[in-house]
Amino acid sequence: MIEELRQRLQMMQKPAGLEDGPGALPLGIPAVDDALGGGLARGALHEVAAPGEAHLTAATGFVLGLASGGQARVCWIAEDMAKLESGAPYGPGLDTFSLAPERLLTVSVARPRDLLWAMEEALRCRAIGAVIGELRHGALDAVSVRRLSLAAADSGALALLLRAQPGSDASTAATRWIAGAAPSAARAFEFGAPRFAAHLTRNRRGPTGSWILEWSDTHERFVLTTPAVPVAAPPLDRPHRQTPSRHVA
Amino acid sequence: MPAGPLGVAGKRGNAEVLVGIDDTAERRGLHIGLGLAQARAMHPALDVVPEDAGADAGLLESIADWCLRYTPLVACDAPDGLLLDITGCTHLYNGEHALVADLAGRIERAGFAYRLAIAGTIGAAWAAAHYGKPESYASGEERAVLAPLPLGALRLPPATVAALARVGLKRIGDILPLPRAPLTARFGSDLMRQLDRALGAEHEPLSPRLPVAPYVTEERFAEPIGREEDVLGTIEKLAVRLAFVLERRGDGARRLELALFRTDGEVRRIAAGTSRPLRNPHDIRTLFSERLAALADALDPGFGFDMARLSVMVAEPAPPEQIGMGGAEDAIEIGRLADRLSARLGAQRVRRLIALDSHIPELAAATVPVQAAAKDDGWAAFCRHRTEAELPPRPLRLLMRPEPIEAVAEVPDGPPLRFKWRRAFHDVIAAEGPERIEGAWWSEHGGPARDYFRVEDKAGLRFWLFRAGLYRDFAPGSAPNWFLHGTYA
Repeated sequence: MIEELRQRLQMMQKPAGLEDGPGALPLGIPAVDDALGGGLARGALHEVAAPGEAHLTAATGFVLGLASGGQARVCWIAEDMAKLESGAPYGPGLDTFSLAPERLLTVSVARPRDLLWAMEEALRCRAIGAVIGELRHGALDAVSVRRLSLAAADSGALALLLRAQPGSDASTAATRWIAGAAPSAARAFEFGAPRFAAHLTRNRRGPTGSWILEWSDTHERFVLTTPAVPVAAPPLDRPHRQTPSRHVA
Repeated sequence: MPAGPLGVAGKRGNAEVLVGIDDTAERRGLHIGLGLAQARAMHPALDVVPEDAGADAGLLESIADWCLRYTPLVACDAPDGLLLDITGCTHLYNGEHALVADLAGRIERAGFAYRLAIAGTIGAAWAAAHYGKPESYASGEERAVLAPLPLGALRLPPATVAALARVGLKRIGDILPLPRAPLTARFGSDLMRQLDRALGAEHEPLSPRLPVAPYVTEERFAEPIGREEDVLGTIEKLAVRLAFVLERRGDGARRLELALFRTDGEVRRIAAGTSRPLRNPHDIRTLFSERLAALADALDPGFGFDMARLSVMVAEPAPPEQIGMGGAEDAIEIGRLADRLSARLGAQRVRRLIALDSHIPELAAATVPVQAAAKDDGWAAFCRHRTEAELPPRPLRLLMRPEPIEAVAEVPDGPPLRFKWRRAFHDVIAAEGPERIEGAWWSEHGGPARDYFRVEDKAGLRFWLFRAGLYRDFAPGSAPNWFLHGTYA
């Protein structure tokens, strides 16, 4: 009896999601979590690209939805260019994705090299739960990506790379996503919750997949709007086949 | 090198005159203030260089910085003098004479001509250095020192000196016994004030060139150091000493400055800011190692640094460090990260978000450097206001400034049906609004009221648009101006 209570106490004292190594961050959607092998791996690098420049804010929302879990601080590192091109993160809008603005630390850098350095530094900080690097264009060299992955593995924090366009380079990221906007369940004068067409195009732990996800304000997590039947991976060379509107419930 | 006379010429009033000459020129009868044409007539071989006042001032400042090795209170006395307050510093050199000998030796080796005097007041030291015997005089001797010197030694304007000379007053000793009131009435209050200051009857403040640090520690090296690891090691050693003093007084450093004195007289100063009062020596070392790594020009030690000084430029009360306090520990970790990033990238690049008390979207939120003084971030107040006013959701990213778009609306005061932004057309399938946000009507540049709409296009992209100005204000036939201000996920 006492032994059992002790074990329960131990379980409660451990921070959630850190039971087993860095552990995984479940999205709370069985279909996605199964593909990811339990959830988004902590302590690993994940790459999220918008299908095109116009979808960058949607991809930003997707990244924030992944990063905002827990109460730890989030560090957002972007090049000066990003702020001019796509706008700066706007405090009053951040908590749409359950990120309280006071949790965010923003860093602007002049060069991509500084961005990677700053990401590595931020990953080393124990008080940071997720590091978002907005590297819009340009190829990543394998060494920096490897360094980022290692830094993330050491700290257990989520490392997220946000890109304006899907990269064609080989990457050692644990997962690669292409996330863009999908039409919401909006009617003429009423908005629905934001929806995302999320394509998991690379997954080191399991199969790839495509889902239409909706951010649920009440649950503070993504929910699935597609039927829970697995969808075949989209042919990457024919993205038009995967028109998201087909899946709107 | 040709031993011809050398002179520096500059404009004084309307004439080109000699403002500086070398020894050879002096021996040949030239003097400062002589007209250039006349000097050339006397010595056609005279080599003349134009004056560069800016460079002179720069050189004086760099010598002033170098003098910081003797005392933190160094002031420039343009155009060619330096004032050092060595009160309480002489024991570091075993007395005034040793200090003067050290200073004189180094100045001479650097190739400068100099005159040095030490006295109890600025005025007396200045007078002795410029007109008297450059020596060291104790406090109280001012009267004896000054009496035989000409009145120009009181740092008076030449007109006053000339006026005094006309009535036969040439030396300071001449005016010492005279009644003060008539002198003041005739020659102005400056004369008596300068005299009092030189005699020590009135205090004369010294305005140091650089702010004086509340905490300073320094280290001199018998053998100059040059490697970066040695510099960092020295920083940590100095930081350990600082930490001891800081802790006793309950202070922490918010701004630190490292001064490295090169053997050839160059002084390299490197500053680093912190986001919270800091006194952990290891943190201070890390901070400077980032600063050194970020230096655009590498730390050039030349023939080595023979002295290093670490000063706390700004200190702030800091409670004793608590270990293992959960949230507090996180804050310390974040502070460390912010310091490292700021040291390398610049404090302006590492920021946090704050809410401001404004209803205008671009003014409602701002970012401040993490290292800036910690103030209430305002989000609690913002959230209360949002709930009370039932504000619609705000965009995730706000453009730096609203961008004009071409929009077609069905009804003049309704949302647009279609719009063009950055060369792409968007068909609106859903819209919410308007949310009317008044301009800053109290200001001339406040701009018109805006009607904001949230719109979604066919692809699911969401935007925050507004129409500037109320529909009823538009002249018939003129199209309203539409802007895109932000994007939603």
